[in-house]
Amino acid sequence: MKKVLIVEDEEGLRLLYEEELKAEGYEVLTAANGREAIQQLEIGKPDLVILDIVMPVMDGMETLGRIVGKERKIPIILNTSYSGYREDFMSWAADAYVTKSADLSELKAKVKDLLEKG
Amino acid sequence: MILAGGRGERLYPLTRDRAKPAVAFGGIYRIIDFTLSNCLNSDIRRIYALTQYKSISLHRHIQQGWNILSTPLGEFVEVIPAQQRINEHWYQGTADAIFQNIYTLQQERPDLVLILSGDHIYKMDYRKMVATHLAKNADLTVATIRMDRGLSREFGVIETDEDGRILGFEEKPKEPKTIPGDPAGILASMGIYVFNTESMVRRLIEDARSNSSHDFGKDVIPAMIEKDRVFAFDFREGDQGGTAYWRDVGTIDAYFEANMDLVSVTPQLNLYDPSWPILTYQPPVPPAKMVWEEAGRVGTALNSVVSNGCIISGGNVKRSILSPRVRIHSYAEVESSILLEGVDVGRHAKIRRAIIDKEVQIPEGMEIGFNLDEDTKRFTVTASGIVVVPKGIRL
Repeated sequence: MKKVLIVEDEEGLRLLYEEELKAEGYEVLTAANGREAIQQLEIGKPDLVILDIVMPVMDGMETLGRIVGKERKIPIILNTSYSGYREDFMSWAADAYVTKSADLSELKAKVKDLLEKG
Repeated sequence: MILAGGRGERLYPLTRDRAKPAVAFGGIYRIIDFTLSNCLNSDIRRIYALTQYKSISLHRHIQQGWNILSTPLGEFVEVIPAQQRINEHWYQGTADAIFQNIYTLQQERPDLVLILSGDHIYKMDYRKMVATHLAKNADLTVATIRMDRGLSREFGVIETDEDGRILGFEEKPKEPKTIPGDPAGILASMGIYVFNTESMVRRLIEDARSNSSHDFGKDVIPAMIEKDRVFAFDFREGDQGGTAYWRDVGTIDAYFEANMDLVSVTPQLNLYDPSWPILTYQPPVPPAKMVWEEAGRVGTALNSVVSNGCIISGGNVKRSILSPRVRIHSYAEVESSILLEGVDVGRHAKIRRAIIDKEVQIPEGMEIGFNLDEDTKRFTVTASGIVVVPKGIRL
């Protein structure tokens, strides 16, 4: 079973993503900020990362660099309410950029797509 | 962005305590001064020098000598040590060094990035290269210089079409593509690149996310040739000396020869051109002086470069380069040598074909460079017989 790491500081959203992705048949790991995400990356060995950007402790843009520094090829989806981060150079290191919405179909489609590619 | 992290292992022991760009050259300069001066003379005044190994000496030099730009005008020369912001490793290659500083680049967001090496000695107007880059609507422009075919194992070798577009780039090939119409010559990369920032960042990210050696020459440029507009720029079009002078000074012998060029009547590298000043840090010391004029005891320096603060006190110096504060005592003889800052040569000492590192005290009567078998026991002696006396040695 493919393993997805969800990095999201908002607990409600984190639970929602977790439920929805489990229903899609993935094993799910969660982290509430970038620092936890780096730990999960090492311990849980996920196959894909869904990464929020605006988070306390360590934000998503910093985390993205760290993840790429550790796992060069792991697929990463930036998942944020803000489109402005698309201009940040580091955001270009993500495999996909999804703007948060109540409808998770785009996010799910990207997860499926990237995991199949890998 | 100047890559200034070169270890310069083949320059050991000159690089034992300092990175290659911080090695002294031509009496008063450090190797990196040439690249930095080229930048200033080319009106490029937002400069990062990326360091990693043994960076204290370089850092100090830049702080002392290059604190001359105007911060309010947005100008700077800033040293960035490896920060390990992305991972815990040292820079793995030239491309990795830039990628690891992507956050810094993000803050500046320039349209173009000039990537340089702090390891080379030459005078070049980078504006001419940038103009060509823009005229060709290129994503990347690589400065090139003609080298003899036999040196292909030391360079990235470039193949171009008639318009200067790069068709092939091979790192250190055994069987290089030669220049059309010049079977004895190759077009070598000088490690000088002008990039469109956006293209560069995208290609650096692709490279960072692959299992490559993360090197511009080995990985990024060959990959870009297939996808982007990559052009060559002939160094001679930007050369400020007119002699196509460019030296890597990667070995002790090459370093020695490049220094010795400066003592000739008309050196290939002209340091006296007021339109292209080479800036550096100079300690606040008095002018050089030569004293004693009596039978058998005349202080002289012939065919030599003598820096400020030197006192040639009754000794003889020929075909040599003296950095600041060198003292030559009576009856001492120094020939075809490079004496770095603060070296003190005692009475009756004899030195030839040697490089004496900073602050070394040569005792009275000592001979260096006359009996290489003896010298080899204590010092580094190169294949061509240059003796290197390292910093900190007590003789």
